[in-house]
Amino acid sequence: MSATEVAKGNVMTTYAKPLPNVDDDSRPQWEGFKQHKFLLFRCTKCGAWYWPKAFCRNHENAPMFADLEWTEASGKGKIFAFNIHHMAFHPGFQPDIPYVYALVELDEGPLFGTNIVGIDPHQITVGMPVEVAYDDITPEWTLPKFKPVAK
Amino acid sequence: MVKPKYAIVGLGMVYGPYAEGVTARGAEAEAGRLAIADAGLKREDVDGALQLRRTAGGGERPAWADAFPRMLGLPFKFFFTVGRGGALAGLGIATAMGFLDLGIAKYVLIVGGVEDFKNSRRTKAQGQRGMVHSEKAGYWGKPFGDLRAPSHHSFLAARHMYEYGTTSRQLGAIAVQERAWACKNPKAKMYGRPMTIEDHQNSPFVVEPYHLFDICLVSDGAVAFVLTTADRAKDSPKKPVWVRGLGSGEVADELWWEKKNYTHMAVKTAKEQAFGQAGIELKDVDVAELYDCFTAEVLFQLEDYGWCKKGEGGPFVAEGHIGPGGDVPVNTSGGLLSAYHYGDLTCLSEAVMQLRGEAGERQVKGAEIALVTGHGGELISPGMCSIHTSLVLGA
Ligand SMILES: [Zn+2]
Repeated sequence: MSATEVAKGNVMTTYAKPLPNVDDDSRPQWEGFKQHKFLLFRCTKCGAWYWPKAFCRNHENAPMFADLEWTEASGKGKIFAFNIHHMAFHPGFQPDIPYVYALVELDEGPLFGTNIVGIDPHQITVGMPVEVAYDDITPEWTLPKFKPVAK
Repeated sequence: MVKPKYAIVGLGMVYGPYAEGVTARGAEAEAGRLAIADAGLKREDVDGALQLRRTAGGGERPAWADAFPRMLGLPFKFFFTVGRGGALAGLGIATAMGFLDLGIAKYVLIVGGVEDFKNSRRTKAQGQRGMVHSEKAGYWGKPFGDLRAPSHHSFLAARHMYEYGTTSRQLGAIAVQERAWACKNPKAKMYGRPMTIEDHQNSPFVVEPYHLFDICLVSDGAVAFVLTTADRAKDSPKKPVWVRGLGSGEVADELWWEKKNYTHMAVKTAKEQAFGQAGIELKDVDVAELYDCFTAEVLFQLEDYGWCKKGEGGPFVAEGHIGPGGDVPVNTSGGLLSAYHYGDLTCLSEAVMQLRGEAGERQVKGAEIALVTGHGGELISPGMCSIHTSLVLGA
């Protein structure tokens, strides 16, 4: 396992889980999460939203994605499908068992893979409204987890 | 019906678990040696080799600078790697057909080997569970704990349960019936270990809704086969197994904006192409070797191919049908769930044995047409296996 030494104030803590695996197609979105902005790839011509990054499917495209840009979205959606992990495939997740990995149908359309936090896993239902809950796991990285929308 | 132009004339298998010091590369070379001998050929007869490799799942496998054709001593004119997740056999055959068609090759050796069980024992000592993949650049889910195939494949089962009321017990009926086949296959990992539906229900949740027994095995082993042209196949010592139809589909044609692709596989085009070339209908299929990384994949395919209606797969398998003595024999080796996980080479090897009449106690009498399916690749982040290949083989 790879652990990341992280300085938090004067205290050295260890982040024991895998860090995001980022490439140049996804980097702008991860920069956004760090600033607690929920960015999706949006067409400036027709307003369609995409995730992951893609050409717009509604019409012909300008070269090299020139018609689309990373744009702040609502960070809201509803549960499309979810599962409950009862085993830790990686030792860093042992303290989180049981944890939930879900597909959230974002209000903008795309399905987004993320953890659902702040609720007993067995209380989660398909269709439940959820919103982004940023988890600043290290000074460098923020995970866009989701939680139920407060009533 | 298109007159078959190509045939499988040799099969070689190495079963796991490997003895100390055995590599997948070595097992591939040995399986290749066995397949060439089975075809009544010599190494010098083989013009080219393809390696089938499960890429683009949880991550790429490292490529080898050294590989089985060198170890086997093949005088090959070409060698490279083909594969997309567990879709291997169909893609390998399609590729080899090009070389045969051009006259570049007379015989092509197609081989896939794994050492996943060996690796799993090594990584277990490091506190990990299951099959650890090397990292794929840009893969989304790992920081969220999407670390193994059930982390995202289980969405398919969950969604089918939500839309159609399918139950874990119904999925368990698939596992139980495949286990019954495995108990007729002495080479199966679960040979001699029958399973009841209560055993399935009592097995621990790994990723709910999946119990342990909804999930495929992690295996060592290698499968090799020789593909050649129809005129050469006539001289083969073993009964040729004819490639009668081959098709493929991708659920990418219904990407996330459709949100329909979590309760079916890309069977429609694959089936139309393969069955069309073969000139067959579903009722002509004597044995169905369906890619079964998880129980829901089998359920989806039973619906998508038309053995039952969409959404009615749960009651269908609960009635039986797919086990020994059933009217739709499915995964007669015991499959990836209960025999061994060589990608769709588990399916292909079993189909060849069935069509040759070499399947021993599990032989389906008079099997003349076999369906072999492949499944895999993760085109759609986060984690959806998108390709489906459909291969119709005939005795
Ligand atoms: Zn557009």
